[in-house]
Amino acid sequence: MKAADFAPLGVLEEQVLVAVLRAGDEAYGMEVRREIERVAGRDVAIGAVYATLDRLESKGLLDSRRVVSEGPTRRRFALTRAGAGALAETRAMRDRLWQGVDLRGLAALARG
Amino acid sequence: MPNPTPSPIHAPRLPIALLRALLPRAERDELLADVATEYAHLAAERGVGAARRWIWWQTLRSAPGLTLWRGWREWTGFEPRANAFRPGGAMLKTLFADLHYAARRLRTRPTHTLLVVLTLALGIGGTAAVFGIARPVLFKALPYTDAGRLGMFWMPGWWTEQEFTYLRDKFAGFSEVAAYRPSDVTLREGDSPARLVGGISTSWELFDVLGVRPMLGRAFHRGDDVAGAESIAIIDHGLWKQLGGTPAVVGKRVMLDGTPTTIVGVMPAGFWFPDPAVRIWRPQPIDPERQNGSYAFVGRVAPGGDVNHMDAPLRRLTTTIKERFHYAEGADKTLAPAITPLRQALLGSMRPAALSTLAVMAMILLIACANVAALMLGQVEGRSTELAVRSALGATRERIIQQLFVEVLLVGLVAAAAGAALAVAGLGTLARALPLGAWSEGARFDWSLFSAALLLALAAVSLVALVPAWALRRGDLRGTLVGGRTGGIQGRGGRLERGLVVAEVALAMLVATGAALLVHSVRNLYAIETGLRPHGLAVIDVVGSAEERSADRGRTVKAIAEELAALPGVERSAVTMKLPLRGGGDSFDIDIPGNPAAANTFTNFRTVTRDYFATMGITVHEGRTFDASDQPIRGNDTSHVMSIVVNDAFVKEYFPGQSALGREVRGGFNVPQRIVGVVANVAETALTDSAAPTRYYLGDQTSWFENRATFVLRARRERDIPALLDQARRIVQRVAPEMAVQETTTMDRVLDEAVGPARQVMSLLAVLSALALALGAIGIYGVISHFASRRKRDWAIRCALGLTAERVMAHIVGQGVMLVAMGVAAGLVGALALRHLLASLLYGVGTVDLVAFAGAALALFAIGAVAAFIPARRAGTVDPARVLREQ
Repeated sequence: MKAADFAPLGVLEEQVLVAVLRAGDEAYGMEVRREIERVAGRDVAIGAVYATLDRLESKGLLDSRRVVSEGPTRRRFALTRAGAGALAETRAMRDRLWQGVDLRGLAALARG
Repeated sequence: MPNPTPSPIHAPRLPIALLRALLPRAERDELLADVATEYAHLAAERGVGAARRWIWWQTLRSAPGLTLWRGWREWTGFEPRANAFRPGGAMLKTLFADLHYAARRLRTRPTHTLLVVLTLALGIGGTAAVFGIARPVLFKALPYTDAGRLGMFWMPGWWTEQEFTYLRDKFAGFSEVAAYRPSDVTLREGDSPARLVGGISTSWELFDVLGVRPMLGRAFHRGDDVAGAESIAIIDHGLWKQLGGTPAVVGKRVMLDGTPTTIVGVMPAGFWFPDPAVRIWRPQPIDPERQNGSYAFVGRVAPGGDVNHMDAPLRRLTTTIKERFHYAEGADKTLAPAITPLRQALLGSMRPAALSTLAVMAMILLIACANVAALMLGQVEGRSTELAVRSALGATRERIIQQLFVEVLLVGLVAAAAGAALAVAGLGTLARALPLGAWSEGARFDWSLFSAALLLALAAVSLVALVPAWALRRGDLRGTLVGGRTGGIQGRGGRLERGLVVAEVALAMLVATGAALLVHSVRNLYAIETGLRPHGLAVIDVVGSAEERSADRGRTVKAIAEELAALPGVERSAVTMKLPLRGGGDSFDIDIPGNPAAANTFTNFRTVTRDYFATMGITVHEGRTFDASDQPIRGNDTSHVMSIVVNDAFVKEYFPGQSALGREVRGGFNVPQRIVGVVANVAETALTDSAAPTRYYLGDQTSWFENRATFVLRARRERDIPALLDQARRIVQRVAPEMAVQETTTMDRVLDEAVGPARQVMSLLAVLSALALALGAIGIYGVISHFASRRKRDWAIRCALGLTAERVMAHIVGQGVMLVAMGVAAGLVGALALRHLLASLLYGVGTVDLVAFAGAALALFAIGAVAAFIPARRAGTVDPARVLREQ
């Protein structure tokens, strides 16, 4: 798939997609929020997460269904093929972006 | 993975409630359950405090995101597949649907919509505009520091420089007092023609008393107001803009009254004193010996004092005045000392007019609201079947009320826009129609006016929406479908609807009685005999500089007069130093040999030209007016005798029962004055003042023209007057460039102005009461026609059983008349309660005026009967068989 097929993902969009991927079967709103918090180390507003999940589903990058289990019913999310592609492409683009960057020089610069 | 079992720790209610309001319904419960579980988990792990902080942070941070999310779903129509069979939907979704439905309903009934929108827009726009104009007079704080401590001394316009000089450091109870008098000036900048600018002359203390510093330059200092001081002036913000609006204006020299004057200061925008027409303040050289003066005193109450309780300091002050000054009987300034709070003194006279207009506008708005509410109610009843069906299909009452509310809201928003447009369009007209002088000239559209209109519209609309909502709460929707075919939602009474119309009629009655009172009062004013024929007279007021020598001025005036008299279309012309009906004027003492009672009395004193009486249309009762035999008097030639003309009041006062012709009097001039003629009394000062003794002098003999003169031209044809005034203006500019035309007008206008604010308020109120009556008629018509159609079936059955159509019609009209009667009664009570509002505008009419009240009531009955007759006729002429088949 070519990069041009996707509108570039926003930072929160990317984080949400990765979190859905990591959460696996348990990918519902609150769990996705918790996952981002765990990895990114920052508190994310649940409202922003819900809105992003919805938007990603409307773009066809996610799919949601309701699973009846012994717990409460929830809308659970899974990546679609397009979603997986977009995520892979975003990652590839990031790799390309960092290729050839002098990381040791960067670290030294950051240390001052 | 948190513990999914329910925790005993409950999340705080408020954030949960907030989230509940924001979340889309289909997912609300499960998302809230997640939040609650997370909260419990956090509370167990990190303590309740941290959990609370977390949930509040989440709620507040999520609110914008959630709102956008909901809006986004509405906008795109996106609904996730997972929600396909979830109950409910977004509130917004129904809102959009309601808006759509309401817009369609309103579109399909354009007449009704137009009526409702126009009615509301008139009320909203009018109220907002009047509010915008009257705001400075009624609500805005005076532009002075601590204005509550400022007061105006009694007898403003009567104090002299001698009195001020003596009292200056003896004003008990005041920290500072300034003396000022109106003194409009001619302003010349470079070679441009002179123009007249409103101004005052003042002692140096004025700006210290008011507590306002100039925005640029300096205020007046001690020593600015002594004879021989440099000629300086402070100007207002508007004039500063006209002069260039740069800091360099300070220090600039302009010609004021022909004197080079340095501008030393510029007042900040929004400052005015004593009214916005005044744009130049000059220090007046105070002459400690000058005894004629027309000063007002304004003072700042000393710390600890109260402007409303100045009795003790005033007693001390009058004692001080009495020690030095001795006044003649009837001119004693120590008799009734009083301090008027400055706001009352400067704005008090305009308050009744502004307040009553605002009140009337608010009433019109209320009438409009009642009208729209009644129309809406009728709509609800007319739609009762539709609403009942929707209710049977599962619509909750809240849902139906929401839909009604959305419809009213839509109407309100459109009406607000239309109202704001009307307010902008009508602002100028209204400002001219209101008797607020220079205050209304400053009325401009601003956003506060628009927000006022919007707020009013929303308040009005909420009021309107409450009524059908309330009716729905009380009524039984499903009952409509099951049972009665004749009753509406509220059964047969329609009590609410009728109550609204009664209220409406009562308000219209209030407005109409007010208008009737004013009409009656103004008619009384116009019926006063003025003693002159105002029709067809053109008036040109000219002012010259005070510095010019009196003799020179006399020559200039004469030169202008000759040119004016030669204008084609002028039948006669004359000059006077003061026109009748404009208040004030000079008076002179009189001395009559052999009549000691005349000593220490004063008569009006007027200098006129030969043709004055004929031009003004003043009737000669005895003797003659001035003619060629009245020769000019040279210098101080005391051997001559002046000719004077006096009025009837003069003869009645000084020569009762005798002929005054040929009698000689003295006083004012040091030459004897022989009475050559007696003319009718003319309203020399105010329209309502009783006739005062007046002496008329010939300008040629006194050569005493003040620095202002008024030219009067009697036009051959009235329609020539505007052209004459225009030509006159050019003649003055050509013949005497150092003089300025202050005003060109007609004597009719002068009379109108003398009739005063009542006339302007009357014309405005007359228009408004016509509006109120029209709105009332619409209301009555709507309710009665609704009443008639609701009981159509009853009538049809009775007609089938033999009731005549006349009886049906009489009954329906009777219903309308009864509503009017109740409204009129309520309105009368209101009019009695509010009668003091107009009291100060009335002349020759009591606030309880039977003619006015009866007139207003009759008008309402007539309108009510006509409005009820139209639906009555329709009901009376309908074929009962058709009605019975219809249902």
